[in-house]
Amino acid sequence: MNVLKVPGRTIAVFILPCLLIYVGLVFVPILVSFYSSLLDWNGIGASKFIGFDNYVQMFTADPVFWPAVKRTLMFAVFSMVEIPVALFVAILLNRYIRKPNFLVSSYFLPVILSVVIVGQLWKTIYNPASLGGMLNQVLMAVGLESWTKAWLTDPSVAMYALYIVALWQYLGYHVLIQFTGIQNIPSEVYEAAKIDGAEGFTADRYITLPMVVPIFKISIVLAFIGSLQAFDMIMVMTGGGPAHATDVIATLMYNMSFLSMKYGYGSALASFLVVLCLIATVIINFLFKKLEARYT
Amino acid sequence: MNKRKTLKAVLAGTMAISLTACGTGGESTGSTGAAGGDAGKDAKKDKITITFQNIWPDATDPKNKLMKKVVADYEAKNPNVKIELDSLNTDQQKMKLKTQAASKEVPDITVVNPAEQMKPFVEAGLLAPLNDMLDQNGLKGTFQQGILDYYSFNGNTYAVPDGNNIGVVYYNKELFEKGGVKIPTTFEEMVETVKTLKSKGIQPMVIGEKDTWTGSFLFMNILLRTNNGPGFLKDVAAKKKTFEDPAFVEAVSKMQDLIQAGAFQEGVTSFDYNAGENLFKTGKAAMYYMGSWATGGIETSSVNGKVGVFKFPTVGGKGNPDEYMLAPGSGFAVSANSKHLKETKDFLNYLMINYPKEAFANKGAVGVAQTVEGDFKAAGYSDMAVEITNLFKSVKGGDLAFDNSMNPGTSQAHLTSIQNLFVQKKEPKDVAKEHQTAFEANNK
Repeated sequence: MNVLKVPGRTIAVFILPCLLIYVGLVFVPILVSFYSSLLDWNGIGASKFIGFDNYVQMFTADPVFWPAVKRTLMFAVFSMVEIPVALFVAILLNRYIRKPNFLVSSYFLPVILSVVIVGQLWKTIYNPASLGGMLNQVLMAVGLESWTKAWLTDPSVAMYALYIVALWQYLGYHVLIQFTGIQNIPSEVYEAAKIDGAEGFTADRYITLPMVVPIFKISIVLAFIGSLQAFDMIMVMTGGGPAHATDVIATLMYNMSFLSMKYGYGSALASFLVVLCLIATVIINFLFKKLEARYT
Repeated sequence: MNKRKTLKAVLAGTMAISLTACGTGGESTGSTGAAGGDAGKDAKKDKITITFQNIWPDATDPKNKLMKKVVADYEAKNPNVKIELDSLNTDQQKMKLKTQAASKEVPDITVVNPAEQMKPFVEAGLLAPLNDMLDQNGLKGTFQQGILDYYSFNGNTYAVPDGNNIGVVYYNKELFEKGGVKIPTTFEEMVETVKTLKSKGIQPMVIGEKDTWTGSFLFMNILLRTNNGPGFLKDVAAKKKTFEDPAFVEAVSKMQDLIQAGAFQEGVTSFDYNAGENLFKTGKAAMYYMGSWATGGIETSSVNGKVGVFKFPTVGGKGNPDEYMLAPGSGFAVSANSKHLKETKDFLNYLMINYPKEAFANKGAVGVAQTVEGDFKAAGYSDMAVEITNLFKSVKGGDLAFDNSMNPGTSQAHLTSIQNLFVQKKEPKDVAKEHQTAFEANNK
């Protein structure tokens, strides 16, 4: 630990390049984008300063805004549901599989696939029965014909179909994180517990769970923030359609800025998304601080 | 210990410097490169580079071949000019141009869409007027009557189009025969045809409605009929009519008749333009409503020879089939801030003067915006292509696509609203109201 005891100046010098890049590439654009959100601007020509009109319009008059917010939050909630599952899988892998690395890699495979490929893949799975969509064919084969649907084009189910894809793609990611967390728990702890008579799920309850809390938190934050920003997969699969049925904040922002050419309005949506992410992070941190305090 | 500290500071310093050095280093290499090029030619005229952004990236496309040939010819005649091609597909180009426009760095030559879609670029002063270029070598006279109007604002023309198309219905003769149906002469017959084909297990029509403009293009042709002629959107823009006009409501209701009759493939909103068209091109559907630009693609597909075309019929006894959905193509525009404005215009002039001839030679002359001389049949064009060139002769005016006539905000609302008709049954009155609300919100 002694190595780290270097003067603040040295630390500053090392941090500086990164900090500059971070400020330049992340912080400044956020400010610029916030400023743009106060403009009536098509992104090309002259702009007009209109104060908070875009926000007023967004919160009070835009019929597609609140539904999009709801879908976005649902996305985040769905994505968090999979983390306990991932933890459970990780624990099982750790305990019952002798060489689990291969399995972990298989779970991880969808994560490294390009989102465009995943999107196209699932599009063919969801295709209507008349076009040989796999899901519908399977349903028909097991006699559930009445369940078949045009999954991505029925406004009432399209969004759920997309949630499932995201769950499928990122499960492996969280399994890997949790698995690594579990492996980092020193085996001595388990050995000591064994001597005291705690084995199997009792050991998990009193050792594994408390000790993976910090890792668990990372997963939750990543999943939550990641899904608030969900964009690419939806763009590939439905483009926010049919008729806004799968629009989330990010797709709405893109469509507003580049298709409707309301750059100012799009920026307002972007700013809203930034604030939403900040609030979410603060809340999650607050909740976990309590949890962590209990175990340390 | 002290030595160590110094070492650390030095290391960190070097790192910081090398990072910044990297940034500037990259740029300076670029400029030396250009300067070196100039130095090599110091005896002759200065070597200049013109950037030509285009939407013909596909090397098998006749237009790509045509472009490369004209560019090579021009470079041979003007050794001091280098034409740099920036070939992108349509969506990428649209996006790239918007970002470039935001930073006022439009390439020397770029591609814009007609009327309302290019208006923001013109208003922002990004495009150069091309009037003088059109007078050079009599270029203006090569264009079809009136087409340049879609690219002109306040008496100045800001772009020259490469295409001029019309909306037609392509049909698969083999499937029509198999289904025992004839070419429908009214819209009501068309709906009946759809039902007959459907009952015989033949997919009646296809559309790639994920792209939304496709459905709108068809819908606007129905509106062109129910309005008894062109100009509906103009009247709305001039506040002489509203979207709640009976003609609009009827058009929505007729569009729903077609959809509810089961005209289109299942899951239609998840098909993009290409995927939709492919169903027709692989012989899986009987009818396909599209702009005549699709002709080339159909000719090179497996259904070539089995396909005919017909005019969009009357709707509810209204309208004139000789009025079409007109689709003046994307046009070439020149950046107002181009460093080599004169040379750029000179090259564009050369390109457009040679365009009709080269397009004809490359079998890409159906729907060119200029007058094409030559016998299509004798040059080996298909029957379908000849049929379409004949339809062009019958054109008695028509309407432009919605997004060429209305501002982007209203257009987007319209596109979504029409897409919705493909997945949900809605009251035509509500659809009309939706349009009017969006129009008012975007025209304050």
